[in-house]
Amino acid sequence: MLRLEGVVAGYSAVPVLRGVSLAVDAGQFVAVVGPNGAGKTTLFKTISGIVRPSEGRITFEGTDLLALPAARRAHLGIAHVPEGRQVFPSLTVLENLEMGAFTAAGRRDWKRNIERIFSWLPVLAERRGQFAGTLSGGEQQMVAIGRGLASSPKLLMLDEPSMGLAPAIADFIFDKLIEIRRDTGLTVLLVEQRVAEALESSDHGYVLEAGRVVLEGDNRTLRADDRVRRAYLGM
Amino acid sequence: MTAQLVENVLQALVAGLLAGSIYGLMCVGLGLIFGVMRVINFAHGDFMMLGMYAAYYLFGALGIQAVAGSLVGPYIAILLAGPLLFVFGYAIHKTLISRVTGTRTAQLDGEGHYAQLILTLGIALVLQNGGLIVFGSVLASIRTPLSSSAWELGPFWGDFVSVFLNKSRGIAALFSIATIVVLALVITRSRLGKSLRAAADNPEAATYMGIDVDQAHRLAFALGVGITAVAGGLLATNYPFQPYIGLEYVIVMYAGVVLGGMGSIIGAFWGGMTIGLVQQLSTLVLPTQLQNAAIFVVFLLIVFLRPQGFFGRVVERT
Ligand SMILES: Nc1ncnc2c1ncn2[C@@H]1O[C@H](COP(=O)(O)OP(=O)(O)OP(=O)(O)O)[C@@H](O)[C@H]1O
Ligand SMILES: [Mg+2]
Repeated sequence: MLRLEGVVAGYSAVPVLRGVSLAVDAGQFVAVVGPNGAGKTTLFKTISGIVRPSEGRITFEGTDLLALPAARRAHLGIAHVPEGRQVFPSLTVLENLEMGAFTAAGRRDWKRNIERIFSWLPVLAERRGQFAGTLSGGEQQMVAIGRGLASSPKLLMLDEPSMGLAPAIADFIFDKLIEIRRDTGLTVLLVEQRVAEALESSDHGYVLEAGRVVLEGDNRTLRADDRVRRAYLGM
Repeated sequence: MTAQLVENVLQALVAGLLAGSIYGLMCVGLGLIFGVMRVINFAHGDFMMLGMYAAYYLFGALGIQAVAGSLVGPYIAILLAGPLLFVFGYAIHKTLISRVTGTRTAQLDGEGHYAQLILTLGIALVLQNGGLIVFGSVLASIRTPLSSSAWELGPFWGDFVSVFLNKSRGIAALFSIATIVVLALVITRSRLGKSLRAAADNPEAATYMGIDVDQAHRLAFALGVGITAVAGGLLATNYPFQPYIGLEYVIVMYAGVVLGGMGSIIGAFWGGMTIGLVQQLSTLVLPTQLQNAAIFVVFLLIVFLRPQGFFGRVVERT
């Protein structure tokens, strides 16, 4: 579904991604892990078109993404739930979700999507009229996830949905993601600091270090790998 | 004696409300542009000047007066000047402003603010001098028979107090408020309005939603220019104008936008309204020449006491 080949990208002069290749197949849950500054967020921004690569290819369902301006990519069915949530603070919760449904698919499925989003995340229904900027961090993360789901995406990209949240809230968000994925069978690309949980629920994982994929494999291979166990799982 | 005083105060209050509604509309146009794009547009007064001339020529030379008459004609011309200047603003954004704003500016020094200042100042100079060449320096005005008649409110308080409400100013204020109500509905209710607000709140996240942020900026800019053009046309039914009139009003507009809280569109309206009221009420105690000084004193006081403006959020957007 999503395929990156030899992507080199960065900001101004220095490249952050130094030749990243990665594939996500339809229906897969793929996790990307790696230390701070490895380039995980940059990878997501490159897929979404905020960062332009200097080399490499990115295709989504066979379409050359690099030929499309950033704003067109959401319309292909890519939903990006960005790092740090980035809700629209002066829009209400409901308006944030409506912006998620800016794509034609999102508008078509609005009724069904909003019902499902509210049943997964009932807090959003309770807070629908509140300005998103006044919500707690956990609630904002739920808005960001709901907003991503409202576009009826084919691929949901989540950048550290547990970042900056208390452990209990982070657990809650993680469980919700598992539940949502179980209910929908959605294709997911996840970046996460909580490596153990991320690898456990994923089908396939990539370890990104200093802009390179240093390791990849299915869930079992990665969790059995000595380097992963030592560096990320604390074993 | 007291009756006379009450009458003067009421008269100034009414004059302030009438002037304030038009200033409010001007400010809303500028506030929309600033709120969505965070661009300081020095040429805004000159776009308003173009709106005045557009309404003037549509009314006179282009035959609306001949077709619709002198009573309704001016307002038709003014309402047409809006879309005309919308198209002009759209083109100016596409050809010039977009080069120094929006998603491109991430790479520029100071997010492109220097380039924006110089560009909009340049556009202002070109429009002023171009206006002088094309329109000439003779004072123009859109004449309506209504400007020399008034409604009398009152008399109240026995027979002593009555207030006169100039008909053409009253109608201009009504048009102005109607325009703002329509705009407020568009901004708060419509998909377009919500996407403009989303693009203002967080351009990057808006892009992830599939919103073309540069296009959103272009529409906001064009809409802001169109709205201020309508305000200019309404003003032109009561005040004569010349190609340099933008200079006088751009200051009023900025004061109004800052008063209302930079970035708040409804705030910009109340900011403009405040300026109208201060300007007119100050004439009760100050000579008329000092009315603009009064605006600035109040402006400085409010900025000093409440720097985020009436409607500004204390927290900066994330
Ligand atoms: N806007 C930017 N301009 C310049 N450099 C940047 C920018 N954003 C990130 N970088 C740099 O790119 C590198 C990779 O950053 P990135 O945010 O992609 O890492 P990350 O893997 O997501 O880290 P984290 O786990 O902390 O979120 C870092 O060295 C960072 O300083
Ligand atoms: Mg990151």
